[in-house]
Amino acid sequence: MTTLKTIVVMVALTAGLSAQHGKGTAETPSLTGTWNMGLEGGHVIPVALVLKQDGDVLGGTISMPTQKIGQTVDVALKGGLANGAFALSGTVEGAKDPTTIEIKGKLNDEGMLEGTVTMSGRGDGHHDMPYTAERLKERK
Amino acid sequence: MSATVALPFLEAMVPARRASGAVAAAAPRRLVCIEMVHGSAGSSAIGVKKNLWAPAATGRDFDLTPTSLRSLEPFRDHLTIVSNTDVDPANPFTAKEIGGDHARSSAVLYTQAHPKQTQGGDVQAGVSLDQLYAQRFGQDTAIPSMQLCIENVDQNGGCGYGYSCVYTDAISWAAPDRPLPMIRDPRIVFDELFGVLKTGTTRSERSERLAEDRSILDWLLASAGRLQKTLGPADRSRLADYLEHVREIERRIQIVEARNRSGELRELPAAPAGVPDSFSEHVKLMFDLQALALASDVTRVFAFKLGRDASSRSYPESGFTGTFHETSHHSGREDKILNFAKLNTFHVSLIPYFLETLKNTPDGDGSLLDHTLLMYGSPMGDSNLHNHKRVPFFIAGRGGGALKGGVHLKAPNGTPLANVMLTVLQALGLPELERFGDSDGAYNIEHGQHARGD
Repeated sequence: MTTLKTIVVMVALTAGLSAQHGKGTAETPSLTGTWNMGLEGGHVIPVALVLKQDGDVLGGTISMPTQKIGQTVDVALKGGLANGAFALSGTVEGAKDPTTIEIKGKLNDEGMLEGTVTMSGRGDGHHDMPYTAERLKERK
Repeated sequence: MSATVALPFLEAMVPARRASGAVAAAAPRRLVCIEMVHGSAGSSAIGVKKNLWAPAATGRDFDLTPTSLRSLEPFRDHLTIVSNTDVDPANPFTAKEIGGDHARSSAVLYTQAHPKQTQGGDVQAGVSLDQLYAQRFGQDTAIPSMQLCIENVDQNGGCGYGYSCVYTDAISWAAPDRPLPMIRDPRIVFDELFGVLKTGTTRSERSERLAEDRSILDWLLASAGRLQKTLGPADRSRLADYLEHVREIERRIQIVEARNRSGELRELPAAPAGVPDSFSEHVKLMFDLQALALASDVTRVFAFKLGRDASSRSYPESGFTGTFHETSHHSGREDKILNFAKLNTFHVSLIPYFLETLKNTPDGDGSLLDHTLLMYGSPMGDSNLHNHKRVPFFIAGRGGGALKGGVHLKAPNGTPLANVMLTVLQALGLPELERFGDSDGAYNIEHGQHARGD
């Protein structure tokens, strides 16, 4: 669906990644968990990013808003960590043209993720959107 | 056809053996809970620095000039501003709830409860503040409480992110699973208040009367005239003024209906004929109806929803023509934040109209304003971030001695707005209430001392 293309995000992060890699140690906190990501696309769009870290391997899901207000599409992500930075990518299923999402970022000193989301599709070029993401305190 | 009209407070209603001092003591407390969506410009980082919502000074020497509250200056002695509070229950609690801030927030402001994510009939939030009060103090009036709104809030089904539209549309909840519908059409409010729908008239009779452009008061003047002959001079004058106000409001509604049925292009083509296209005209009409209802003690409790999340309405009277939702997404840019502040300022500027009416309405030993407590707030803070921190909130009126007014209190970071609401409920006559929503203690609303329970 074309709507999925115009979706929100785009990635391309270039942040100067300075964190550490690994999982769950004192120096390298695990990224595993749910993150409330604020994508800056004209205004800040709240997006759910769920990550699972296993060593240098990172995977997860991002729930991307579609053009239809209030609807999202889940995109599976795969990637990893290196040199204190992470990179993830996934393909939007069901999109009319192949649409790829890339997420790059790092954990900053305040415990938030920051970086860029890039979305690219055939003929549309690509769109970059900076983001910050705060860890969600999940409650029932 | 039969019809009834409520009467204002008259001295003749007081038993002869009671001294006039007892009249003052008997004046009931009224409560008006107003919600506006989309937070405020003053909740953004730049807005805080520029005091676009909360004044810089706390205590009694606050300056409203730079704030969106500046129109309330004539009522500063009746004003209690509590800034820097949060509405955490409006935040997402799970991954699936992220992004649903617009869809769920309105249900949170006066319940301070986290809504269950559902698009079905199994909605769940909490009992709202207005209903807690109405269930205790609204049972002696003809109508325990009323729920009014300005925008279209009668959508069915889901409103996005897996939330039922009732979360977006209802601010008043009689029970955690019972949202109360809001009335948008002033004609319906008028008829509810003055009994036309409840006194045995059929819809066809009502339509006939409307078609003939006849006034409800035309049905009542004869009996009112008989009543006036039995009253003292002060009561006669008060009753005459009151009936004139009722007639005036009905006349305004009739004018709006005639205009909207004339075939002229409407700005709000889908709105009922009784709804003015002008935002301020609509709000003022609703305020006049509330003032009459409070004066005549038909009801003591109103919930009033001024906006709707993600509304694309514009307010040219504000001096800025951008649409509400788009303007609220200011990207953190100062020029856009200042534009958003114009909309906030305009919305608040309609409140003094109501306060002035209340102030000029005698009630017991004072005015209706003395015996009314009006709350105004939003469940969102910085709308650009869709967060729920530093939400805009103020209280006007003294609620029959519940509040002194004339003060700005800045709460410590992280204070739940629910703490303030809990304190208000206690002051209004529910002292046994220990919790409200996510409150973690009471908040000393006179001095700002934070009495958290933890």
